[in-house]
Amino acid sequence: MLAHGEIAVAEGAVDAPSPRAAAPGNGPSSPHRPAVCWLLSAGGAVAVVAAAAALSGFHAGFPARWNPGVAGGFSSLDNWVTAHQQSNFFLGTVIGDISTVLAVCTNGLLSFLTWMTWVGVLAAAGAASWLAGGWRTASFSAVVVAVLGLSGLWGESMATLSLMAVAIILSVLVGLPLGVAAAVWRPVGQLVRPVLDVMQMLPSYAYLVPVVILFSIGNPAGIVATFIYAVPPIVRFTQLGITTVGGDVVEAAAAFGATRGQVLRKVELPLALQSILLGLNQVIMMALSVVVIASLVGTGGLGDSVLQALNVVNVGDAFTAGIVIVLMAMALDRSSGAFGGRIGRSGRRSARQLALLWGAVVLVVLAAHYGAGLGDFPSGWSLSVSTPINTALSTLQNRLYHFASIPVVGGTSNLSSFLTLDVLNPLQRVLTALPWWVVLAVVGGAGWLFGGLRRALLLGACVVAIGLMQVWSATTVTLSQVVVALVLDLLIGIPLGIAAYRSRAVDRLLRPVLDLLQTMPAFVYLIPVVLFFSVGNVAGVVASLVYALPAAVRATTLGLRSVPVDVVEAGDAFGATARQRLGKIELPLARPYLLLAVNQTIMLVLAEVIVAGLVGAGGLGYSVVVGLERDQFGQGLTAGLSIVLLGVIFDRLTQGRSRAGTFTSAT
Amino acid sequence: MTTVKPDADAEVACRGLWKIFGDRGRELLASGVATRSRAELLAESGCVVAVRDVSFEVARGEVFVVMGLSGSGKSTLIRCLTRLVDPTAGEVRIGGLEVLSADAAQLRELRRRKVSMVFQHFALFPHRRVIDNVAFGLEVQGVGRTPRQERAREVLEVVGLADVERAYPSQLSGGMQQRVGLARALAVDPDVLIFDEAFSALDPLIRREMQDEVIRLEEKMHKTVVFVSHDLDEALKLGDRIAIMKDGAFVQVGRPQEIVGAPADDYVRDFVRGVARGKVLTAEWMVLPADPGAPTTSPAATVTAGTPLQGLLPVLISTPGPLGVVDANGGLLGFLDRAAVLEVLAGNDTVTARRPPDRAALTPSGIR
Ligand SMILES: Nc1ncnc2c1ncn2[C@@H]1O[C@H](COP(=O)(O)OP(=O)(O)O)[C@@H](O)[C@H]1O
Ligand SMILES: [Mg+2]
Repeated sequence: MLAHGEIAVAEGAVDAPSPRAAAPGNGPSSPHRPAVCWLLSAGGAVAVVAAAAALSGFHAGFPARWNPGVAGGFSSLDNWVTAHQQSNFFLGTVIGDISTVLAVCTNGLLSFLTWMTWVGVLAAAGAASWLAGGWRTASFSAVVVAVLGLSGLWGESMATLSLMAVAIILSVLVGLPLGVAAAVWRPVGQLVRPVLDVMQMLPSYAYLVPVVILFSIGNPAGIVATFIYAVPPIVRFTQLGITTVGGDVVEAAAAFGATRGQVLRKVELPLALQSILLGLNQVIMMALSVVVIASLVGTGGLGDSVLQALNVVNVGDAFTAGIVIVLMAMALDRSSGAFGGRIGRSGRRSARQLALLWGAVVLVVLAAHYGAGLGDFPSGWSLSVSTPINTALSTLQNRLYHFASIPVVGGTSNLSSFLTLDVLNPLQRVLTALPWWVVLAVVGGAGWLFGGLRRALLLGACVVAIGLMQVWSATTVTLSQVVVALVLDLLIGIPLGIAAYRSRAVDRLLRPVLDLLQTMPAFVYLIPVVLFFSVGNVAGVVASLVYALPAAVRATTLGLRSVPVDVVEAGDAFGATARQRLGKIELPLARPYLLLAVNQTIMLVLAEVIVAGLVGAGGLGYSVVVGLERDQFGQGLTAGLSIVLLGVIFDRLTQGRSRAGTFTSAT
Repeated sequence: MTTVKPDADAEVACRGLWKIFGDRGRELLASGVATRSRAELLAESGCVVAVRDVSFEVARGEVFVVMGLSGSGKSTLIRCLTRLVDPTAGEVRIGGLEVLSADAAQLRELRRRKVSMVFQHFALFPHRRVIDNVAFGLEVQGVGRTPRQERAREVLEVVGLADVERAYPSQLSGGMQQRVGLARALAVDPDVLIFDEAFSALDPLIRREMQDEVIRLEEKMHKTVVFVSHDLDEALKLGDRIAIMKDGAFVQVGRPQEIVGAPADDYVRDFVRGVARGKVLTAEWMVLPADPGAPTTSPAATVTAGTPLQGLLPVLISTPGPLGVVDANGGLLGFLDRAAVLEVLAGNDTVTARRPPDRAALTPSGIR
């Protein structure tokens, strides 16, 4: 299979110049012509077959009678679980106890935070961030804590904080030993790796339904879902940190007669600490990125505020809660990141300083609680930004949404209807009209082309499985949105990436924007998008577009930067124009990255399209939400599984032969 | 292969040692094909014969140097001594302990108290201060904080690093880092010190300084030292005896004079080609025994057996008559062939020993 890929790559390199020099930015496919030819001819064939199929009355989609009853099976599984919740040891005792412990911890933490009073929380947050990163970090955290109160969402914030803390602690308690075990015992490592791969590939959504079946709706379910989603980085970073400790120092320790445990405690763990803290930082970020999604399974707090506000299209409220979550994430990110950066540098605080600091915090807490009798943040102090936001946004909406407000394009509503009527719907119609075996042939063929027989079989099996679960039409809806968002992303992202590569000014302008976009959790994009494109599939497409754009831009820029300087210089020496250099040297050499850009973009788009189920984008995401909300677990699970399968298909199709490694942060 | 006599007093002894990297090491050895060349075996089985049937003994207080080109198996050999690398076959005895049959606890004790290592790339713990690096060996022994730091300070004093104990390794120069490595090895007061190309990574000047340091310490502490090197000058400077290693096997073991004066084969000859033989070879090496039948001639002048040939020049120039060589007690060993000595000093390396080395005449410690 490799040989195949190699040949195609070589051909691409050989005939890379000519036409592309003229059209440097025409999409991801340009640097990969042979495959594109294949795909184009395959696409043509599909169109012909589809037309023929439609005319000759072939059955479109997947036959409904081929139904092994997967959804029904899952539903009865759920019923069985419900029926045996008490009697079954695993369900009753193990799951029940875990559930109880998590609930008790969360409630205990929440009560403790309440007991600390808002001043105490402020003091503790300030002290911790000061220790981690000094005055700047401390003042940022303090401001964020103040905003939590001023937003009028103090109670919700503390609830979210407790939930997150429990989920994060659980992740560390499980992830750290697992990472150590994976690093120390090869078999564990070999076992853990594929599991983590799958876990990280699955969108957060996929966990919800099974978790709810086991834990039913409530805080424990949300914590477990968050935990499953957030635990991989700490396992990976712990393992990575330990395995990358130099063999020479480990050997030196062994040479002095250290036991395995001593080597681990005195050499490997301390040296891996920085990496472990980096993992912790990622865990925190990932946990906070699923706050809203976790609320789908009944956890309270800020996520629930966002969901409720979205449900009644109160953009102001959703926006406020969303901002609070993002700020909380930023404060935690800065503090934990600064802490990680500090470790290993020599400036550590002395035990006395620490005792003094925490003593002071305890005093403040006691004084605030018993002395001043404070409690939650005073509600009178809250500055409701919701109403002004709503007013401002509706003004903006009035100007942008309705026709003729923007030259040429018209209002965003025009854009919206154009996308719906002229792009999404026709595409969806074509996809729906295709008989399943055509899709199978195309996907399988592409898999064969990129990865040989094994990949073809895998992808074919995924297609058939989606069909058998009877979610074919929901899948085509999702697929059409993914395709449109992807194409738009690449059309916008690659030229932007090239511009950022070629112009420092553009790069400097883009960088903070991309940073911001990449740190925001997925749901945040839905809020403004809903405003301008109302709920529906276009909102889904636009949110995904924005969500995945940074990956496309960054991968392109990085790829171009990876081109060796001397090669570029050689081009200049022969008098190539900037355009020729780009078309004949830089883009061809950056091809692995461009392929990776497609891969990353598509995975992010997929993840966000699913989240967009929340704002009525339809498709598989919607099925999951409905499944959760109406107790139709069969439907929810089959939809969730199809998302996973769709993810596998996209990943394997776009991974191609490029294995350049990832460089966008995990989302 | 080795010329060393079995010695009950040996601190380190190793017999028929093999190390074959690869899954099929034992199998290869059992089937007897391991005697084929290294390259052949690698091509056929994917196994690397890193150490091939090595035997040697190191007396208490002796400095034994293992020399060889990179890849010849030196590091593997010394790692087999404390089983940092598990040998495929053979025997290792250190201070009375049969290392290969030792259990985990015995092995730990061996590494903790008996044998210490100094590494080529220092292998200091980057997250520990200098003093905690030095105290590491004591720490894993379970020595309390205060006594082990005291001891570490003492040793740092000895290697001249008393003032940097609070620094982290990365803040020190390469030479200083290796002093820390040396101090770390000395801190546990081991009987045996193993140096794995400990000074190869240092600048020539610093390297010489460190070699002198080792000589100084050795004069003071009389440790048993196994010193790995790929630098012949270093080997000649430090070694009581030198083993030349090639493709995993010892091709010659002997005193510096023997290696330089009587290379066992072309490989060793190539090795020693550039050496100033006048500095290494001594009068004792070139002495012609007085023919018992011939009439006794009395020497016009005498030199002691240990004088390097280079040191003979003034006598050769000033004294025309026969030159006698005497041992430390003044007993006459024989006479020198002027022409041969001058040829050696002129760089003619085809001149070989006039007299086979008499091992009994010089004990290892007598060389210096
Ligand atoms: N862990 C290992 N696995 C396989 N081969 C090894 C290993 N360690 C060393 N070798 C091989 O054994 C041979 C001897 O290596 P080494 O003892 O490091 O030589 P030296 O120290 O003399 O440079 C080399 O060919 C090396 O490639
Ligand atoms: Mg070596």
